[in-house]
Amino acid sequence: MEAVPPISGIGTGRDDCWIPSACSLCYGTCSILAHRVDGVLVKLEGNPESAAGKGRLCGKGVSGLMTHYDPNRVRVPLRRTNPKKGMGVDPGWKEISWEEALDEVARRLKKLRGEDPRKLFIQRTTTVTSSRTPIQVFAAAFGTPNRSSAGGGLHCGNGAHLISGIMHASWSVVPDFQYCNYAVYFGASKGHSAGHASCSNMGLAAEARARGMKMVVVDPMCNFAAAKATEWVPIRVGTDAALALAMGNVMVNELGIYDAPYLRAKTNAPYLIGPDKLYARDPESGKPLVWDLGAAAPRPYDAVSSEAMALEGEFPVNGVLCRPAFELLKNHLKNFTPEWAERITTIPAADVHRLGSEFAREARVGSTIVIDGVTVPYRPVAAIAFRGSQGHVNSVYNFLAVDLLNQLVGSADMAGGCLGFNPACHGYPETGRPYFVPKAGPDGLMITGIWMAHHNPYPIGEPRMPEQIGLQDLFVLCQTSPFSDSSDREEMWDKLDLPYRPEILLNYGTNSLMSIGNKETVAGALAQFKFVISIDLFLTESSDFADIVLPDCDYLESLDSRPNFPFIFNLPGGLGEWCWPIKQPAIQPDGEQRRSSDILVELADRIGMREDLNAAFNVVLKLEGPFRLEGERKYSYEEVCDAELKNNFGAQHGLEWFKKNGVIKWPKKPEEVYWRHFVDTRVPIYWEFLPVLREKIAALAEPRGIKIPQRYYEPLPDWIPCPAHVTNGAFDLYAFYYRDIIHTNSFTMENPWLDEAARLDPYSYTIAINAGTGRKKGLVDGEEIWVETDAGRRVKGKVHLTEAVHPEGVGIAACAGHWGEGMPIAKGKGVFFNDLLEVDYDHASPVNLNLDLCVKVKVSKARGVGR
Amino acid sequence: MAIASGRYEQLIQDLRAEYRPQREWIERQGLFLIVGHFLSGVAAGTWFFSLLFGFAPGLAAAYVLAAVSGLAHLVFLGRPERFWKMWRARNSWIARGFIGLTLFMLGGLLYLPPLFHPDAPWSGDSWIARSGYAISVAGMVILLLYKGFVYASSKGIPFWTSPILPALYVAYALRGGVATLLLMFAWGGNTVSPERLGPLELWIGLSAAVMVLFYLGVMSGADPVARRSVYELVRGRAAVPFYLGTLVVGLVIPIAFGLAGVTGSLSLATLALVALASVVGDFFIKYTIAKAGIYIPLRPRSPR
Amino acid sequence: MVIDLKRCIGCYGCQLSCKAEHGTPPGVFFARLLKQEEGHYPTVRQLFLPVLCFHCDEPACVEVCPTGASSKAPDGIVDIDPDECVGCRACMMACPYSQRYFLDEERHYFPGNGATPYEQARSERHPSGVVMKCNFCRHRISVGKEPACVANCPAVARHFGDLDDPTSTVSRLIKERGGYTLHPELGTGPAVYYLPA
Repeated sequence: MEAVPPISGIGTGRDDCWIPSACSLCYGTCSILAHRVDGVLVKLEGNPESAAGKGRLCGKGVSGLMTHYDPNRVRVPLRRTNPKKGMGVDPGWKEISWEEALDEVARRLKKLRGEDPRKLFIQRTTTVTSSRTPIQVFAAAFGTPNRSSAGGGLHCGNGAHLISGIMHASWSVVPDFQYCNYAVYFGASKGHSAGHASCSNMGLAAEARARGMKMVVVDPMCNFAAAKATEWVPIRVGTDAALALAMGNVMVNELGIYDAPYLRAKTNAPYLIGPDKLYARDPESGKPLVWDLGAAAPRPYDAVSSEAMALEGEFPVNGVLCRPAFELLKNHLKNFTPEWAERITTIPAADVHRLGSEFAREARVGSTIVIDGVTVPYRPVAAIAFRGSQGHVNSVYNFLAVDLLNQLVGSADMAGGCLGFNPACHGYPETGRPYFVPKAGPDGLMITGIWMAHHNPYPIGEPRMPEQIGLQDLFVLCQTSPFSDSSDREEMWDKLDLPYRPEILLNYGTNSLMSIGNKETVAGALAQFKFVISIDLFLTESSDFADIVLPDCDYLESLDSRPNFPFIFNLPGGLGEWCWPIKQPAIQPDGEQRRSSDILVELADRIGMREDLNAAFNVVLKLEGPFRLEGERKYSYEEVCDAELKNNFGAQHGLEWFKKNGVIKWPKKPEEVYWRHFVDTRVPIYWEFLPVLREKIAALAEPRGIKIPQRYYEPLPDWIPCPAHVTNGAFDLYAFYYRDIIHTNSFTMENPWLDEAARLDPYSYTIAINAGTGRKKGLVDGEEIWVETDAGRRVKGKVHLTEAVHPEGVGIAACAGHWGEGMPIAKGKGVFFNDLLEVDYDHASPVNLNLDLCVKVKVSKARGVGR
Repeated sequence: MAIASGRYEQLIQDLRAEYRPQREWIERQGLFLIVGHFLSGVAAGTWFFSLLFGFAPGLAAAYVLAAVSGLAHLVFLGRPERFWKMWRARNSWIARGFIGLTLFMLGGLLYLPPLFHPDAPWSGDSWIARSGYAISVAGMVILLLYKGFVYASSKGIPFWTSPILPALYVAYALRGGVATLLLMFAWGGNTVSPERLGPLELWIGLSAAVMVLFYLGVMSGADPVARRSVYELVRGRAAVPFYLGTLVVGLVIPIAFGLAGVTGSLSLATLALVALASVVGDFFIKYTIAKAGIYIPLRPRSPR
Repeated sequence: MVIDLKRCIGCYGCQLSCKAEHGTPPGVFFARLLKQEEGHYPTVRQLFLPVLCFHCDEPACVEVCPTGASSKAPDGIVDIDPDECVGCRACMMACPYSQRYFLDEERHYFPGNGATPYEQARSERHPSGVVMKCNFCRHRISVGKEPACVANCPAVARHFGDLDDPTSTVSRLIKERGGYTLHPELGTGPAVYYLPA
């Protein structure tokens, strides 16, 4: 591998060009045009040709220049000379050559692979979407199942992505901004912050707002989405399920408004459920049965036309009385009255009632609309959830209860409703690629057409004694696990007889010491690795535990063929254009930085796993025919990218074409956007597989002393409090964090433009407490306070007394509060919320292992000096 | 790690606050501007009373004060080498002030030499000297008037945009003139009876005090930004110099002694001390008014 | 210019794309975003208010400038000639919107490391000792582009055009949505209008 190949144009006369590429300040990855003049990058703008961003960038995107030119970037490979690892312990970095670095890394990895490849644990940052495929491929080729996306994945994804996947065949959900009239956001900021289709959504949401879409934002904090909301509904932290379930109750039981035809045809609502809570199944085929009203008999679900299926009633199946799932759901919802919800959420019962009624009525159940000559159901309401509502022990039910609202009125992936991000694509007209459409799987339930992780959300995997350090092969609904870093990981590994222990960590860009939870716990995990390799832009707090640091090229120096693919992740949803941009370098690195994709390919060669690597590329990129990678041939990453592009778009649309043109695009069809109306598949409003799953997991886990609480594995969503919801004396407030539009995770505080803007912002670096609450506690706006949990964890910061937060809330933005020397601009800015978090099984969802992100705290004045 | 300096930190804090104080005309080089304002006012007042009482040394003193004031202004400017461009935009009060100073210096240059050097190339009643006199008086008038108007035309700072301010500055300039004369008498022996100056000093001092109080009163009832400035004066950042410099030293002492002088006689030395206090007060009224300047907040309470 | 407060989401895109376009030093913001919360819990809204030089019809800054460095051009843009400015900063006192900036020292975004190549490429635009401000991106509009803040806004909340033309987008929006200016009582006649949130 040579150093970064030269970019044409430099040194060949006047250099003044605009290079189409992709942003990586957050995972939204909007398309950019980078302006280079005489070898200096002088401006970043959106690429108007691209649907990703539509020619515009948020504050983070335009500020990429200051990250690129940050003199604190790592420029040469480093090796520690101090054998002792600890937080704040100087590693004694020594500069080494690439040859030396790669040689040692490859040697160690090769040896490890020979022993047990599973001992390699790979972590990557969610921010750089281009890292996903190289890491996935490398891990597959190496033979390790142990991958994580650190805090970004652990906090954000296990609930949102699992359920969006099962219910919408997509990574996340968004209102159909073009047609939606009434959107209810539960702990989400789509269109008002970063996120999956960042700038595109900002434009779409603004347009919807201008058009008169009513946006109701349920959130403990009134910032960003809530700031622009037609109505801000302040809610007690972590109680979203209570509100959603009560709304569902109002809709179904009081008003009787629900989309019966949709439920019959597109969900498992008509499936007959026995007293054991499981499907009544056809004895021959094993398929779930429905009650055929015409024949007055139970039949397999795919043998009856949906109009004839019963949704309510009690019917005998082989002498056993069974009920349709919908009947159970309907009765179950009766438990959740608005008055009950008021006690849990602090939202007045009248408002709960009103929200449920409004949602139901605005849904216009039964109506249709013609779009581009195609008739689709018209349900202009959307209930959206994201990080906020699912970041709790009750992760699954919180998110599911919200999505249930869409399912009940039939607005899921219909015109104006709650859309997955591009679950269906019929492909580029000339080649028919990429092609993916959801389809029916076991029990008629939906399998996604495409996914991001190696394991589809449905069908549910078979639990087994774990061979992954995150135990995801036991807790099969978990994607990113806390057990790679938790305080009880050793205990869990011992109890479950994990046959090995992780030895080497390959970290790409994460700062897991900050992003996962309290630093002591994570530090303990990091210290135990025998060897840590970190590919980074900066030396972070986590770098204190690295053995070798490899300097990464940033996004303006890197190349990737698929920054916005899979489309379910970060291409704008809804009607418009399909768009496939690439990322290409706009400038050479000014030090010895190398592209991480090239580093991984080089390592693969040195380890001797080229054949496996090529095979993995073929599978992941779905390369066929002449573009398939052959045997052990040493393709460069650029060549692989070229192959993918040609494979998808034809031989004339290879890397060179894309470098000139930036993006390829073609129009979307209503049949793709509103696929659910056209595809015969169902989603579960009754999660029958949950009790089944629990049995299997409990059979393995409980004999070994790990409790699998049944309450969380019931088939219908429920309100279950988090540890924080227990009254606890002086600890009377709920601390939470929220996404800040000016920041991404723990990364952007180092960018001085963004840091400057954040310092001017009233909320960015402060601790937001309700003004009334603060005054009662004798707090003064701007003073330093301690926020402390009953476990003795505490963080300090400046308080901002504001009307814009729930009286019990303590709102802290982003993942700030750096203390390391490697990012001097970031150092000391903002508050390190995660230090309040426990990382263990008790503070995670027992179903999907999402970390519980709300904490019960008390606040007090911080007297004295210094941190 | 802060960018560059504490100044930047201060700026960030200022930009976060609802009421942002002006710092350009008071801090660092800004202090020279206040000094320059102060000196030019005193120079004009001294010239006026020196002409009135026929006191030639006072004229020389006024001239020197004006020159120093000019230098102080130059030190303040961001680009002092371009100062001569300021004659251009004659609708601007600063330009007018610059023209005034230029006229004063020019006029003085023509008028003064015959007064002090019998061998000067032109005599005291030549047309050169007489035009010099006229020009210098014109310059003096402009110098007396312009500063208050400079402040009053600062639309961004409600505390300054009052018609009282020009009157206040004129009053202080005159006071400064009287005080300078008193100081010079005390130093160099008198040729004018202090009995005439004392009451004058008292009268100007009282009227200045009245104006200050009236001004603050008006500003306290006016818009919230001006009120905030008054707060800065009486309880905030400018409070110490205001109480000590402007009020006690600058007003209370001269008025008290002036009253004593009306009822009984005061020694020249005492009068000189009073004059010094008065002069100090003159500086501090300008200093504190500048320091208390608060910008109109952009962040509206509710725009609609 | 017209800024639609209904659309603005407070993303700082305008503040930062302006900074990226002009390379303004630390503490200098030709365009800025202000945030103000309104109301009392639970009826709270956040107002996001982007501001910049309003290029007034009766600019208070031009009135007080002693050298004529600040002037209003025929196309309406209020600009500063950096070769004529003496740095007296009277304009900073006169501007009721605090949209003028002055530096008498060099400031870089990475203190102790000097200027980045980007800052070096932009430094000659920001000489010290003179006042500086927004000029509606004259270098962009002269080649048919919109000002950087307008072109970049992801919420499409900013519009730029001819206020004298009643059929232009800006004129129509002001009329249809009831556009207003800040502190109209001061008589400065700003050329930047806000559409209500």
